[in-house]
Amino acid sequence: MPETTSRRQPDAVLDPVAERVHEARTGLTALLAEAAEARRQRSETADGGSDSGAVCAWNHFENIPTFYNWNNRPR
Amino acid sequence: MAAFSGMRGIASVPTYVVMQPTTLCNLDCTYCYLPLRGADRRMPAEVATAVAGAVNAWAATGRFSVVWHGGEPLAAGREHFASLLAPFDEGVEHHIQTNATLIDDAWCDFFAEHQIRVSISVDGPRERNADRVTRGGRPSYDRIMHGIEALRRHGIDFSALCVVAQPAPGLANELYDYFLDLGCDVLGINIEELEGVNARSNARDPAAVTAFWAELVAAWRRAPRIHIREVEWSLRYAAAVLDGTADDVLPRQLDPIPTVGYDGSVVLLSPELAGFSHPHYGDFTSGNVLSTPLPEIIANAADRTTWIAEFLAGVEACRTSCAYFGFCGGAHAANRYFEHGRFDGTETDHCRNSKMRLLEGVLDHARDHEPSPA
Repeated sequence: MPETTSRRQPDAVLDPVAERVHEARTGLTALLAEAAEARRQRSETADGGSDSGAVCAWNHFENIPTFYNWNNRPR
Repeated sequence: MAAFSGMRGIASVPTYVVMQPTTLCNLDCTYCYLPLRGADRRMPAEVATAVAGAVNAWAATGRFSVVWHGGEPLAAGREHFASLLAPFDEGVEHHIQTNATLIDDAWCDFFAEHQIRVSISVDGPRERNADRVTRGGRPSYDRIMHGIEALRRHGIDFSALCVVAQPAPGLANELYDYFLDLGCDVLGINIEELEGVNARSNARDPAAVTAFWAELVAAWRRAPRIHIREVEWSLRYAAAVLDGTADDVLPRQLDPIPTVGYDGSVVLLSPELAGFSHPHYGDFTSGNVLSTPLPEIIANAADRTTWIAEFLAGVEACRTSCAYFGFCGGAHAANRYFEHGRFDGTETDHCRNSKMRLLEGVLDHARDHEPSPA
C-alpha cells in the first residue's frame, strides 16, 4: 500500500474565518491584552461562565444580559 | 469548514424574559419596527403574575432578568409599572430599555427603589437623532438629554443603544467620543435593520461597514472606558480561535428569549415579530401565559409553532453553509423573515452588516496595528 504523503489539515485551518484570525494573531494578541487590562481597570472579574443551558460564557460584564445574547439583541 | 456544535435546538430555560408593559411609545422614530406604538394597550397585572410564577422559580436557581421593553415602558406610568413589578421575587433583576424622554427625578427614585438597571436609546450627537422624533414630528433630543441629566444627577449608571443609519468615515470616532462624554458604561451599536414596519433597505456598502467597525475599534482603543458590545464579542471569538476553543463560544442551545406582549401572548426568539401576522405563519405567538405556563409554552414551541420549526432548519442551514457560524450562531429569526419572507433562508443584510463585516473590521484593525518592534 502506498504511503500516505498528504495529511488532511485540521478543520480549523480550513475555516477561512479562523484563517483570517490566525493571520492577524500578532495584532490581535496586543489588542486582547489591552482589552483584558481595560476590563481589569473597570474592576471586573471573569466568572468563568457556564455553558449549561442557554447561558453564554464570558458574561463577566453581564450587567445588561440582553446585550450579550448573540442569538438576538434588543433594538 | 469547521463543524460548530452550539445552537442546537431551544433551551428549556431562558436567561431573560422581555415584557411589554405598554404598546405605546411617546416617540415615533422613523426606523422603528413596532406596529402598535401609537396605541396605549397596557399589560394587566394578571399577565405579570403569570410570568412571575415561572421567573421566580428560574431566579431561585441562578441569575435571571426581566427586560421591560415597549413601546416606551415608562409610558405605562409609575403606578402601573409598580403593579407589574410586584409579583416578582427580590432576586429577579429588572432592566429597562427606554428612550429617556420621560425620565425625571421621580423615575430615578423609582429605578433606585426597585433596583432597575437602565439602558437608553440615543443615536449620538443632536444632529444624528433626526430619526428620533415625537408624535408631532418634532426633534426629541432635548428631551432625551433632559432624561439623561436626571440619571446623572441621581448617580444612576446606564447603558446605551445607538442606531447607525449610514456608516461613513469619521462616524465611529464621532460616536465613540460622544458616548464617552455621555458617561455610559456599555454601548451597543445597531446598524439600522429592515425590520417590522421599517421598510428602509439595510443593504450597505460592505467596505464602508467594515471600515466603520475598524474605526470603532481604534476609537475604543484610545480610551477603553466603555464596553462596546460588538467589540467585546468579536474579541471574545478571536481569542477563542487563537487558543483553539472556538467551538465553546456559542451557547449549546438557542436562548428562547420569550417576549410577553401586553396581552400575555408569547413570541419566542425574536421580540421584533410580536404584533405581526402572516397568512401561513399566523401571529408568530407560541401561546399565552394567561392560559399556559411559560415553561410549557417554551417546551412545546418547536413542535407546535410553524415558523420555529422552519427557523431551526434555517439555523442548521447556516451551520453547514456559513464560515461565520461559530461567531454568529445563525441569522436572527426576525431578520430572516423581514428580509427573505421566510425563516429557513440563511445570510441576511443584518448578518453582513452586524456580524460578518464587524468581525472583518476588528481583524482589519488588528492586522493594520501590529505592535512596533521594541
